[in-house]
Amino acid sequence: MKIAHSEGFRKGKLFASILVFISIILAPNGLWSQGENLYKAKCSSCHQIEKNGTGPMLKGARQRWADAGEGDLIYEWVKNNAALRGSGKSKRANQVYNEYGGSQMQLFADLSNDQIDQILNYADSSSSKAAAPGAAGAADGKAKEDAAKEEGKGGVSKTWWIMGVIFLVIIFSVSGVRRQLKNASSESEPDTNATYWQEFKLWLWKYRAATGVTVLVLTISVLVLGLQSLGSINVMEGYQPSQPISFPHSVHAGQNGIDCKYCHNSVEKSKSAGLPTVNVCMNCHKQINGKTPEQQAQISKIYAAAGWDPNIKPAGGYTGKTSPIVWNKVHVLPDHVYFNHSQHVVAGKIDCIQCHGDMKTMKETAKVQKVEDLSKIEGNIKLTKPTLTMGWCIECHGKKEVVIDDKSNAYYDELHKRLKRDMKHYKHLKEDEKITVSELGGWECSKCHY
Amino acid sequence: MGSTKKYWKGIEELKETPAFLEQRDQEFPAQSAIESFLLDEKLAEASTGRRDFLKFLGFSVAAATLASCEAPVTKAVPYVNKPENVTPGVATWYASTYYDGLSYASILVKTREGRPIFIKGNKDFGFTKGVTNPQIISSVLGLYDSERLNGARKKGSKANVAVNTADQAIIQGLKNAKSIAILSPSIISPSLLKGIQLFTETYTKEGNRSVELVQYDAISYEAIRKAHLQNFGEARIPSYDFSKARTIVSVAADFCSTWLLSNEYAQQYGATRNPDGEFMSTHFQFESNLSITGSNADYRGQIKPSETTLVLLYLLNNLKGTGGTGLKGDLLKIANAAVKSLRKSGKNSLVVCGTNRLEDQLLVNAINHQLSAYGTTIDLSNDVRLFGAENSKAEVLFSNILKGKGPDVLIDLGTNPVYTHSQGKELKAALGKLPLFVSTARYSDETSSLASYIVPDHHPLESWMDFQPKSGEYSVAQPTIRPLGDTCSVLESFYVWAGLTKRTGKDSTFAYDTIRGAYTGNFDLLVHNSCVGTTIPAFTNTFTPVNIPSSNKNPGDWEVNFYQKTAIRDGAMASNPWLQELPDPISKVTWDNYITMNPYQMEELGYATTYDQEHGLNLAKITVNGVSVTLPVYPQPGQALNTVGVALGYGRGAGGEAIGKGAYQTKEYGGYDLADDGTKKTIGANVYPMLRSSAGMLQYSGAAKVEKQEGTYLIAATQIHHTVMGRESIVKETSLNTYKTKAKEAYNPPHMLERLNEHGHHEKAPVSEFDLWNAHPVEKIGHRWGMTIDLSSCIGCGSCLVACQVENNVPVVGKDEVRRGREMHWIRLDRYYVSNAEEAIGKKKEEDFSYSEAEKATVNPTVVHMPLMCHHCNHAPCETVCPVLATTHSNEGLNQMTYNRCIGTRYCANNCPYKVRRFNWFNYPSYKKFTEVNPAQDDLGRMVLNPDVTVRTRGVMEKCSFCVQRIQSVKLDAKKEARVIEDGELQTACSEACPTQAITVGDWNDYNSSVYKSTQSKRAYQALEEVGVKPNIWYKVKVRNEA
Repeated sequence: MKIAHSEGFRKGKLFASILVFISIILAPNGLWSQGENLYKAKCSSCHQIEKNGTGPMLKGARQRWADAGEGDLIYEWVKNNAALRGSGKSKRANQVYNEYGGSQMQLFADLSNDQIDQILNYADSSSSKAAAPGAAGAADGKAKEDAAKEEGKGGVSKTWWIMGVIFLVIIFSVSGVRRQLKNASSESEPDTNATYWQEFKLWLWKYRAATGVTVLVLTISVLVLGLQSLGSINVMEGYQPSQPISFPHSVHAGQNGIDCKYCHNSVEKSKSAGLPTVNVCMNCHKQINGKTPEQQAQISKIYAAAGWDPNIKPAGGYTGKTSPIVWNKVHVLPDHVYFNHSQHVVAGKIDCIQCHGDMKTMKETAKVQKVEDLSKIEGNIKLTKPTLTMGWCIECHGKKEVVIDDKSNAYYDELHKRLKRDMKHYKHLKEDEKITVSELGGWECSKCHY
Repeated sequence: MGSTKKYWKGIEELKETPAFLEQRDQEFPAQSAIESFLLDEKLAEASTGRRDFLKFLGFSVAAATLASCEAPVTKAVPYVNKPENVTPGVATWYASTYYDGLSYASILVKTREGRPIFIKGNKDFGFTKGVTNPQIISSVLGLYDSERLNGARKKGSKANVAVNTADQAIIQGLKNAKSIAILSPSIISPSLLKGIQLFTETYTKEGNRSVELVQYDAISYEAIRKAHLQNFGEARIPSYDFSKARTIVSVAADFCSTWLLSNEYAQQYGATRNPDGEFMSTHFQFESNLSITGSNADYRGQIKPSETTLVLLYLLNNLKGTGGTGLKGDLLKIANAAVKSLRKSGKNSLVVCGTNRLEDQLLVNAINHQLSAYGTTIDLSNDVRLFGAENSKAEVLFSNILKGKGPDVLIDLGTNPVYTHSQGKELKAALGKLPLFVSTARYSDETSSLASYIVPDHHPLESWMDFQPKSGEYSVAQPTIRPLGDTCSVLESFYVWAGLTKRTGKDSTFAYDTIRGAYTGNFDLLVHNSCVGTTIPAFTNTFTPVNIPSSNKNPGDWEVNFYQKTAIRDGAMASNPWLQELPDPISKVTWDNYITMNPYQMEELGYATTYDQEHGLNLAKITVNGVSVTLPVYPQPGQALNTVGVALGYGRGAGGEAIGKGAYQTKEYGGYDLADDGTKKTIGANVYPMLRSSAGMLQYSGAAKVEKQEGTYLIAATQIHHTVMGRESIVKETSLNTYKTKAKEAYNPPHMLERLNEHGHHEKAPVSEFDLWNAHPVEKIGHRWGMTIDLSSCIGCGSCLVACQVENNVPVVGKDEVRRGREMHWIRLDRYYVSNAEEAIGKKKEEDFSYSEAEKATVNPTVVHMPLMCHHCNHAPCETVCPVLATTHSNEGLNQMTYNRCIGTRYCANNCPYKVRRFNWFNYPSYKKFTEVNPAQDDLGRMVLNPDVTVRTRGVMEKCSFCVQRIQSVKLDAKKEARVIEDGELQTACSEACPTQAITVGDWNDYNSSVYKSTQSKRAYQALEEVGVKPNIWYKVKVRNEA
């Protein structure tokens, strides 16, 4: 009895094929270079591989330190550059510091020498493809780790390509051997002229039950996965249009600690938070005209918009020629969606950070934050659907609790009283100890679409 | 009462014509439309085969997928200097005043980001008490009319000229002139009168010049003023107070809709129509056309226009006890009932007359004096300052112009006599020959297009102006937007032309400075309230009887009555597509005027009395005073026999003038319908040339000759669209007597169904106790938005419909689409004729001149007006059939329509028992068919759209949302301010616009709310209760104050 014909083998094969399929779907994120991972998590926000950015390019960094005769000090530099500069034992340290405008590099005391080597190895071997994403140059590395994971997915697919090719080669070689064996063993059946394809078809037909089930499982899985992945399609996440003025939120909201509502001053009154009007900018920028030429160039754009001429004696004056600043809108919702900032900020007591991320660390003007990044922020409701998709909205509406029984708001007080008119329904709502926005109707179409 | 009465919307329904039955059974009368589409030759030539179609399909799917992968870049442009009172996203309201020569109201204007988008009445200040009318509500669209002049024009030039150039030429002309005439509609602005006075003084000081101010109204109320001059020694129009009148007798006065200050009167009248109030008035109407007012009357007598004097004389003589003669049959019965009722009410009575005949008004004064109504329902001290024009002076001016002896300079403030005057055609030739003709009209219309210079006035929403509508009230209008064009305040123009000031451009503060300077009180408070009461000089003159002249009315076999439609009125707003598409509250016809005739007589004379989307009505030539026009003959039940009615205000722009895109007929696939000579076809025909004066006063009736013509004309009327089939419980009515004396079961019985009780016996139970499904948890908990509509108060004026259209961006679809039953209005104003008999038309009994019950069906039926919108059923049949859950129920009782989810199966509309769902057949904001009619297609016109409401696209269903944007906003305000929602805080567009407060909305779960209390009334019922859909809208039984 041929093994191939045994019931057990057939079942085994079917099982194996399903198993292979499932393993394909559920396979954990594969291997990737430790150095690449570290680079993306720790360095990429300031350092590019082949180009000087906020900091010098990493490619050849080790060589440059070695050329300066300070090859060993690079590890100290990475771990604690301030200490190295202070110690006075490195000329290059101060040279690099001054070359990049006196901006201090972050401290990475947690990196071992091996890890630094891995990063530098990666940098030296890497090609120009691995450009740094424009993520925030943040003090906390969480955001970057996340970016690394994101990038990791790309790595997985490459690994899988290689594995897939190997797998195919194995299949073909095994089946080739089998064919040879078969031809050798069955001389009485002269069907040697059959091509691989014909034979494959025959084989499929022979095991049509298994083939059918496999195809069915495959089709359903692809459909389910496809539909699931449709839910995560988004066009907004990470959207960061160029802006007429490179406005750093990190300086205004971060360093200077200006409250969000000072500039976005209709956020508590209106459906739109409001972009600051130029007269609001001028409240401060009348005096502050920038230290560096870059800053001055940017601030002069505000002056042009406001019609402010600093050269008018004695202390500057308005020319009367104004031109509004045309920003590119970052958070764009379709026309059929009604969103109200004041609803969320005043009635819902949601902090800006929940949806917009920590703008205090955002060096660029603004971008649509990734949901993973938002979920990492302390105190935020953890969400999974991409930012600014409807799934994201309703996920939050399904999780967010509305405190209606603390007597702080007469509106909710009244609502609470009315809910208690139907205790059965009330208990049903309170089963999970809280009343969410959706339980008060926050998932209803006409809350946002009309 | 329903069991003995028959309710029908049109002759088609009464007779159950095959076409009607077919249409009734289909939600969408699409078939014939498809046929005409397929028969279109151009489309047949198209070469798109099936394969091409599939290719296109595949390509467009791929293209759409690709396109949706990238978000377009959207710009955000903040202000440079934010105006203090503008917060983007939040509406700013301004108190102002509306006056256009016909209507007056204290209003509130809603602006969003600086754009006025909505007008509603100011309920807190002003004698109009927050009541407007369809024209006032629609007037905001006129601001964004792209054909409104945006700068000064010189004759013959299509381009603007600098205002200063025009001014110089005008001043030069004025200096060279010997005689100057200013032609204007009635002026009620003290500041403008002062300006004209200063202008006059400047030019009469030297050079032996004459300056004359002539006021001219196409709709004249001179007879009332003249009658009071004779009886009281001063030409006055008194203030009427219908709210105090227990008996109202109106002879041909449509005081709820078009007569004098009809918006004020509608509110007062509505207050007396509440059967639960202190009293309910008895209303007698004698008229030839079935007017909105007449449709609400308890007793309606049909008279020919020439018989008004007869009726008034009969009333006067009977009240005096001298006995009257001349009336017969039904009319006699009604007149006797009126006399009895007037006697009973005494001084709490009011008699008004709508004719412009001196003898009629003298009779009215005598009757009111006889009743001692002066002092109670009539106030002579606080007299109305509107309609102060003296047309006899204007006639002199016109005849001088026609004779070529006209003034050297004529300044016209937008009166448009070429259109409204009987000798318009001759005036057109003569006006062009004047040495200098200056106009301040806002459009280059029939008259102003002849002017040497047009220096256009601002739109009322752009300018400062003041008014003295009554002697006891002073009001101001403030601008709500910076002038869109280089227009000039007419007030400033007079000062400039008098050399008293200089032009400073469109941001001039001259009008503001002048008005503010003239006001001695707290100006900020005045602007905040928009009006202020002033001391009324007491009027102590007493009634002096005068000899009433005998009538000389030239009655004919057939008489015509010229009337104003509530939407178009005098025609000044004829280019407003919202108004053109507002179905006339009585005839339900849109986009046309026509000859109304009683269907009873039409049958005798061989006219078609039924029509549908493919079959038109017969044309007839009507000749009055030697002027003829050809119009379709429309069957109008209730029209007095041997009379016809034709509406004024149509046929605008006969010379193809640029008076607005919506003013002309359009073709089936877009573009203007052109006459053989290449001119644009007007909508309807102008009948102003048929008007003649009698004793110096314009008469709106006369003898007529009506001759049937060859051919038919397609009519776009909504009356039998969306008919609720075979269900009788939709309207309930009763008499005051029954209501006051009988139990609820007598006039408002609940619908009972039979069921088995626990003992296995049959028992009857109200339909509310039967449930097929689990109820939505809307009762008791949370909010439950509800509405009651009092059919007793609803007068059918149409304000709700227009307000809804403005608030909810309801598209205008044009005549051709309305004809196909595809109007988009979210509110349907059903007008039911009520007759006692099942079948219709018998023969008139000659001997006693009264009709059998069967005849009354069409000859003189009573009327019920019923606004119908989405009922937000808690067991909504539409929700269960939607395959994509695009229409769902909210836990606040709303039936939600989600456009972005809708795929347009139209199952919901087919399953709606109320037929209130509307399908977007076309892309109204961009398809070429609607370019001329839909304001959303105009760059300027779309500024009027409400940014809080989605503009729906092709292929989706839409319907009344209960103004969910307002509900959300009211809730949000309460949440933010940590307070409960107050009763009355939520007002939908319709409830806000209702002049009689027939519509009450609110939170039904708030047991102290007025809407909850209203639903607990004995009169409250739900339409089509037997269907068991549990709507959130209640009606209240109509109560008639009849024996």
